[in-house]
Amino acid sequence: MDTNFQQIITMIKEKYGLDLVMLAFIQPAQLDYVLTWQYAAGNISDRFKRIVLQSGKGVAGSVFKSGKPMLVKNVTTEYPMKDLFNFPIVVSEKIKSFCALPLYQNHKVQGVILLGYRIEDAMTDVLYETIKKNMSTDVPGFYER
Amino acid sequence: MINHMPSQLIDCLLGMYEYSSEAIFFFGKDNKLLNLNPAAKEILEAGVLEEMLQGREKSICLSCKGYTSTEELVTCQSCYFLNPRQDFSSFQIYLETKGKGVLPYVASFHTIDQAEDTKVLILRNLTKQLETQELLFHNTTIKHIIKAQEDERKRISRELHDGVAQEILSSLVDIRVMKYLQDPADVSQKMKHIETSLTRLLDEIRNMSVELRPSSLDDLGIEAAFRSHFKWIEKNYGLIVHYSHKIQGKRFNNEIETVVYRVCQEAILNVLKYADVDEIFVHLYETENTLMLDIIDQGNGFDMSNRETKGTGLGLFGMKERAELVKGTFSITSSIGNGTKVHLEVPV
Repeated sequence: MDTNFQQIITMIKEKYGLDLVMLAFIQPAQLDYVLTWQYAAGNISDRFKRIVLQSGKGVAGSVFKSGKPMLVKNVTTEYPMKDLFNFPIVVSEKIKSFCALPLYQNHKVQGVILLGYRIEDAMTDVLYETIKKNMSTDVPGFYER
Repeated sequence: MINHMPSQLIDCLLGMYEYSSEAIFFFGKDNKLLNLNPAAKEILEAGVLEEMLQGREKSICLSCKGYTSTEELVTCQSCYFLNPRQDFSSFQIYLETKGKGVLPYVASFHTIDQAEDTKVLILRNLTKQLETQELLFHNTTIKHIIKAQEDERKRISRELHDGVAQEILSSLVDIRVMKYLQDPADVSQKMKHIETSLTRLLDEIRNMSVELRPSSLDDLGIEAAFRSHFKWIEKNYGLIVHYSHKIQGKRFNNEIETVVYRVCQEAILNVLKYADVDEIFVHLYETENTLMLDIIDQGNGFDMSNRETKGTGLGLFGMKERAELVKGTFSITSSIGNGTKVHLEVPV
């Protein structure tokens, strides 16, 4: 599959006027697989490249494990300050409002896409629904269940 | 002067001098003792009292161990005796007392006769008040500690429930399903599924156990424990730790290693929470029987006199307490925009 994901996420970023789009895919590792951030558009630092995501931990980890999308309209009010360091990407990229969706292939979560704004409350319910609806056409080959 | 006073007032003053529970000292020129009341005699060691009565200069220093300034708890810097021009209307001093060791007193020191340069030092025993204060502080700290402990238990419990129990349950369901599978291909697929699930479980348990307390700290020592911890930090938080060590794999007392490890861990957590940097520097070295640890970042820094916490606010306190546990010293230097340096020294 020769999909240019960098191009795709740049397109998505422009389409919704997002500040940051990141894409994580599972990589096969011995016996297991690991989830790592592969592509980013609008990122401040390259910190995400070093992070190996743990299932159930952080934004991508929880989406990956539960297979369910998540929406955080306002990071400042919804996330307790003292837990924030458990979300290094949200902190280091200064994301204030975001959603994250699982990407399915063959009934299994193969990746996670994170779409964020650096402005509070920018990710609205309406926008979230629109993004979810369009995801399967935005990212070909995967679908949002 | 006395001639103008009504005799009643003189009687009162004499009575106060004689029977007051406050120690009163009068000092004349050259800071020689002029007089002291019975309460003052009471608190001084016999030898010191004699020296003072003989009019030795600065004889109070034999008993005085220093006073509390804004910089230090007990100090002799800009002594009240030598800088009487400063406001010493109320301050705290520490005196070596008869039979009771060093005790804190609240003191006031002022000149009562400019011409003769007569000064009075009045002391009130502060032990009781300090005890009350300490107890109050102690109680509030305990409350904090209990809460922190409870939070930690909650976290571990949640991790066990959401991670470990969940994964085991899913494997269990798979195994149950497998009992009824006929097709060998299906069985092998399920087996593979269970295998990955168990591998992930093993990983999770290992992670939890290392997070709680790394066994490498006990088995291989501080140097190796740091190395794997920093690798873990990089993998989980994307923070690069530039680590330099000059202790050649030397082992120290288990207590010391734990303190150094925990202080470093806490300091890095602070960097993650507040500094907003991508890399930090950690130096571990030994000089003349002292183990030193530096954690330096070039991040946000903070105003040392005005902190805003993103947690329990127990971190700095905890690091200091841990350092004191092994008779070490712990210091932080930071200012807004100039990063932060944490320094730990432990005698070995």
